Amino acid sequence: MKKGKTLSHAIVAASLGIAGLGFGFSAAADVNPPLAALGMPPVPRDNPQTPEKIELGKLLFFDSRIGGDASVSCADCHVPKQGWGFNDPISRGYPGVIHWRNSQTVINAAYLGKLFWVGAAKSLEAQAPGAALGAVSGNGERDMVEARLAFIPEYVKRFNQVFGDDWPKVNNVWKAMAAFERTLIHNDTPFDKFMRGDRSALSEEQVRGFQLFQGKANCVECHNGPLLTDQKFYNLGVPRAEDWSESGLAQITFRYEQLAKGVTEKLYRKIKDDAGLYYRTKQKSDMGKFRTPPLRYTAYTAPFMHNGSFFDFDEIVDFYNEGGGTNEFTDGVMAKNKTKLLKKLGLTDEEKADLVAFLESLSGEEIKMTTPKLPPYAPLPAVVQAN
Amino acid sequence: MNRTVSSRISWWAALAVGVAVIASPVVAADFGPVPMLKVDAKKAALGKRLFFDARLSGDAGVSCSTCHIPEKGFGDGLALSKAYPGSDGFRNTPTLINTAHKAAWFHDGRLGTNLNDVTREMITETYVMNMDMRLMQERVKQDPVYVKMFKDAGYGEPSNGSVRKAIPEYLKTLTSRGSPFDAGKMSAAAQSGFELFKGKAGCSQCHSGPRFSDDTPHNLGVPENPEIWSNPARHMTYVAFGMFMGIENYMNIRRDVGAHIRTHKADGSDIGKFMTPTLRELTHTGPYMHNGVMKTLEDVVAFYNRGGGDDINKDPRIKPLSLSQEESANLVAFLQSLSGQPLTGPEHVWKDPINVNYAVIKDWLKQKN
Ligand code: HEC
Ligand code: HEC
Ligand code: HEC
Ligand code: HEC
Repeated sequence: MKKGKTLSHAIVAASLGIAGLGFGFSAAADVNPPLAALGMPPVPRDNPQTPEKIELGKLLFFDSRIGGDASVSCADCHVPKQGWGFNDPISRGYPGVIHWRNSQTVINAAYLGKLFWVGAAKSLEAQAPGAALGAVSGNGERDMVEARLAFIPEYVKRFNQVFGDDWPKVNNVWKAMAAFERTLIHNDTPFDKFMRGDRSALSEEQVRGFQLFQGKANCVECHNGPLLTDQKFYNLGVPRAEDWSESGLAQITFRYEQLAKGVTEKLYRKIKDDAGLYYRTKQKSDMGKFRTPPLRYTAYTAPFMHNGSFFDFDEIVDFYNEGGGTNEFTDGVMAKNKTKLLKKLGLTDEEKADLVAFLESLSGEEIKMTTPKLPPYAPLPAVVQAN
Repeated sequence: MNRTVSSRISWWAALAVGVAVIASPVVAADFGPVPMLKVDAKKAALGKRLFFDARLSGDAGVSCSTCHIPEKGFGDGLALSKAYPGSDGFRNTPTLINTAHKAAWFHDGRLGTNLNDVTREMITETYVMNMDMRLMQERVKQDPVYVKMFKDAGYGEPSNGSVRKAIPEYLKTLTSRGSPFDAGKMSAAAQSGFELFKGKAGCSQCHSGPRFSDDTPHNLGVPENPEIWSNPARHMTYVAFGMFMGIENYMNIRRDVGAHIRTHKADGSDIGKFMTPTLRELTHTGPYMHNGVMKTLEDVVAFYNRGGGDDINKDPRIKPLSLSQEESANLVAFLQSLSGQPLTGPEHVWKDPINVNYAVIKDWLKQKN
């Protein structure tokens, strides 16, 4: 009931927490954390992994009854066969709407401290409600989620076993989903094998690409550490989504998002591109900035970037080779917003091919999963009247 | 569901209305045609289009008229209403004819402010239209027909605020007209039914005034509709409602507590009270009662004749009436005489097809949002 306000408040609260965390890091000396093989994701102390919880989380992730009209599950936009994302530039939305950003893969989301394209949530537990309840994604609502789950005896039993709930509690839905997502990890790629000492894991071409990545192409400036992301925010000049000029449905969502993110009336009137981090900080200098994404599993997750502007690695490498691009927030007075870290790279065709080959080494076997059989509704038994 | 300040306030307002009505005893002279309300034609026309437009709901699949169907007296002809996809309703859809004359809405009377709030409630409620008002506003703005209609109606640019004004303006056009009762053309049977209504049968103790309602909740002992509690799709909607409304023990009750959600009496004596509905347009609006358990007007009269249902808190005025068969039939004839012309013409129904595909705004980069 009373939709709307709740979500934006949740996001504001989450973003305050993150802003606090972010700054400490940037003060550190400008040494890029070295690239490395990826270990296991951190597990929060208040949500330990158990096999039962993971299994429950898996069912819930695939269960469309979490969504507003009981037709949209997490797995409808994070489709296992589409790299656990969605293969359109802009994600599908809740029925009757389209989203306005590219659907990110949930593979390896477990490692991230800043989730979503602009880092609006700092844990999987905090991220899931945003996804399940937002008007253009799940459009669900907490009371209705709890009410529906209470009529699925299998869930009542499992929530009781896992969390001790009398009736399934919505906050435990997010916890179980997070536990499941912590199993969706990809840390055994050719690159990881190489870094663990198997020198045959990368081809010669890929090794050359690896060197370019850390050297001439300077990707490592932002894509660093074991995760290949610094989890900071940059405006690379990724061009605006074409959809907004071409589709009425997309134009509606675009304007809705400005309202939902609480921009001023003045900005609402004139903005024509996704202002990214700005929506959280309301600092003009953050317009058009997005979180550096981790690069594993990208062989399965095209199209790329926050709005799906690029369809393959060749386009990405060309883009960086040109020193990035331009968008609404890199022009004129906003010119300062574009990161200074991107410069024309002067890569030869062979070097470009090497870099692409290296990007390919960041993905291993596809993570496959079929939709589990979901437990049915059943009536509640009659009870003796208390009053 | 987060309890909002406004809905709390509205419960108090609803209470205040109840008190005011009790304080002014109703006299028989109050019966009579429901007065027409002054409406702004352009605003009402806009409200009419919105009422029939499914894009006002979250999935763009449900309009007000999905449940409030003109041919069914702006009810839906079902015992229990539908709901937004994903579950089903737990109450009978009330008629909207004459609703603009009311001061407290819903079967439990929980909203006592105005139709603007009722409209918002219907649009945003998870199990009704499940819509984020901001998204609704942007959808409406995308439709050039609306842009013009809002402007012509004096609202300027489409906004969620003016949607909530225009729909109530339209609802004001839904006033009963042309019933045999109002026209003085009742049959002899209906005429004697009217006498019973005011006399032996005691109906007018609660069904008074032009709409035949005291706008107050009472307990008649109307039996539960078992379908609500045996069908998870309906029961879960009630559970979600119960959570939001703060119904005690909502997982373990199998009854609709009615106006108790407003008054929360500790002894539960207010459980099972429902608002007295209008008796106008009954021939179009069956099944009857808050949960649709009575199919026909004969069933309803038989129910009253038996002295209502079983409930320790039943209103003392509901007792066996010993009406003869003929008297019962006359009472039914009278109830039927309160139904007027169906409001199904273009004055009340948006007849033009609504193009629900959103046109693209050309030259978007150069246009102001
Ligand atoms: C209608 C499509 C849709 C649905 C349904 C949906 N998502 Fe997403 N998801 C997205 C999009 C689009 C993004 C990026 C949004 C943004 O950054 O604004 C995203 C981002 C995420 C991320 C962040 C990943 C990262 O790298 O930061 C996670 C985790 C996630 N979703 C999990 C979920 C879960 C869990 C559910 C079910 C409760 C869910 N999603 C439902 C479309 C969807
Ligand atoms: C200044 C920091 C920075 C540098 C340097 C950088 N990137 Fe990125 N990278 C980002 C950010 C930020 C994004 C997301 C941008 C957006 O969506 O608008 C991104 C996106 C990507 C993506 C798309 C991932 C996805 O899931 O959509 C790939 C692939 C990528 N970068 C590869 C590279 C390569 C290869 C290089 C070196 C040539 C490089 N990056 C250099 C910051 C950087
Ligand atoms: C899914 C079915 C459904 C839809 C859609 C719906 N309604 Fe209703 N409406 C109901 C039901 C059921 C009730 C009674 C609810 C209760 O008593 O709790 C009701 C009650 C009302 C009332 C109060 C009537 C009275 O006399 O107390 C008004 C006014 C109303 N609706 C107007 C609207 C408007 C305007 C819309 C569209 C914005 C709308 N409804 C959409 C089912 C629906
Ligand atoms: C004590 C007050 C009271 C008296 C006396 C009373 N009613 Fe009612 N009536 C109500 C209430 C309250 C309801 C709604 C109950 C519910 O929804 O569960 C109702 C419902 C009805 C309905 C169903 C309307 C609909 O749209 O669902 C009809 C018809 C009706 N009454 C006719 C009568 C007749 C005929 C009499 C006299 C025999 C009568 N009533 C006496 C209070 C009263």
